[in-house]
Amino acid sequence: MQNKRYYVGAYVQYIILALAFLGPVLWMVSSSFKNNVDITAYPPVILFKPTLNNYLNLFRVYPFGQYILNSFIITGFSTLLGLILGVPAAYAIARFRLNSIALLSLLARMAPGVLFLIPWYIISTSLHISSNDFADYLSLILAHCVITMPLVVWLMISYFESIPIDTEESAVIDGCSRWGLFFRIALPLSLPGLAVSTVLSFIFSWNYFLFALALANNATMPLTVIAFNFIGEGSADWGGLMAASTIISLPALILTIFAQKLLIKGLTAGAIKG
Amino acid sequence: MHHPRLRKAKSNDLIAAFLMVSPAIVFTLAMIIFPIGYALFLSLTKWVPGSSVTQFVGLSNFRRMLGDHVFWLSFRVTMILFIACLLLETIIGIYLGILLSKDLPGQKVLQAVILIPSIIASVAIGMMWIQILDPTLGFANYLLSIGGLKPLAWLANPGTVLQSLIIIDVWQWSPFMALIITGGMRTLPSEPFEAALIDGANKWQIFRFVTLPLLRPVIMVAILLRSVDLVRFFDTVYIMTQGGPNNASMTLNVYSYLQGFNYMDMSYGSAIMLFLLLLVILISLVITKLRRRMS
Repeated sequence: MQNKRYYVGAYVQYIILALAFLGPVLWMVSSSFKNNVDITAYPPVILFKPTLNNYLNLFRVYPFGQYILNSFIITGFSTLLGLILGVPAAYAIARFRLNSIALLSLLARMAPGVLFLIPWYIISTSLHISSNDFADYLSLILAHCVITMPLVVWLMISYFESIPIDTEESAVIDGCSRWGLFFRIALPLSLPGLAVSTVLSFIFSWNYFLFALALANNATMPLTVIAFNFIGEGSADWGGLMAASTIISLPALILTIFAQKLLIKGLTAGAIKG
Repeated sequence: MHHPRLRKAKSNDLIAAFLMVSPAIVFTLAMIIFPIGYALFLSLTKWVPGSSVTQFVGLSNFRRMLGDHVFWLSFRVTMILFIACLLLETIIGIYLGILLSKDLPGQKVLQAVILIPSIIASVAIGMMWIQILDPTLGFANYLLSIGGLKPLAWLANPGTVLQSLIIIDVWQWSPFMALIITGGMRTLPSEPFEAALIDGANKWQIFRFVTLPLLRPVIMVAILLRSVDLVRFFDTVYIMTQGGPNNASMTLNVYSYLQGFNYMDMSYGSAIMLFLLLLVILISLVITKLRRRMS
């Protein structure tokens, strides 16, 4: 009897919590399939005839495919560059106890984004970077790398520290160089860490809003900035807004389904060991 | 370490270590340290768009800050959001975290569901909540009307805008705290709980005198990580209200962005940002100190 009451109590909480946390997201997704009448109906309608027009209009009225591509270019390359710069650095920091360098990456995590953005903006305007699309992509990738690289360093240090020194020492006796240790022992042993770093860098870079807001031009704009500009237009095209925000949320939703473990590991890293 | 190969490896190691960290260090110097230095330089000058002449003005940007009532207002708003969100997110995070640490069927599903708000882009968060909180057709006012309550203007009213932002932030980030606490719960030893049960402790006593003290180190890390982000409150404010109405939701981060990019006063914007950086460092030092003293 006691046991049954316990289960009922727990599941009542489960249902309320699921509704509270998922409700707003479901409302956004369902609104994106509503026509103009249904979306402005009051009281709000739950059941309606779904339409794809909001999505089709995004691609018809705006170069939306280009914005999606821009998001992928900025996110993909900043993740890649973050890994290339961050993984070897994390290994050296972990193996040679270069803690003062780790502190540098902490500074990047604490500083408010506008602090970097003002100098970058002044420099990039004086170099006329935004008039050249290639240079503008590059500046956006480098800017987003300020998010990804410290994240990679922060996540990877603990993975490299957990590799026992003995494993490496016996390889050294067998004639393995430090680079050999890094590529042939440390990297393969920390593949889970690389997966966590990749997933988390990708999602953080994809979501990051501030830098592109000031640095992107009309051709290099990622989804986050164009979606924000929709709000500013004040046209109250709710359907278009909700379709755009659903598209922006897709990577997060897909990763929640397929890489929940990696996301949780990454988000809670530094607080929990293992 | 007496094997000859190990000794020879040592000198090669230094070169390898240097090569491994130097790209990251060069990047950090160019993209992080140099900009902070440049912002410091800007804050001591009067920057004019398009002009190459720099005019040193000493500390006048910082003096202006002290007399600027919008600056103090945004300092106040930043601290209100920081304290209110941190408090609520910690309490709800502990509740959610403990609930999720029980291995019931469906626990994984709920964990995935609550993870979603924390990893969706803040632009999407902002847009979905603008629609939900819309005064005329939003779902929030519909819920209020079902409960027989009067509709609210939510983000459009200076009296309710902060509460609205707090609700959204708590919705978005309590799960983050919860995930850390769930992870912490799994690492706790079971003996203290068994001992407390044998001693006849009730649920509340177990929570208050066993769970909470054991979880304290994990909770403090979660608070530290969350604080660093909360003091820099930007995205949802900028997306939904841009500091309005009537500056009622102006945070330091948004104010400096507006100064820099809307009024093109990069010098004053930099000065505010440096103040904010100091505030973030100060708050994280205080929390780190508290953490040390508690453990």
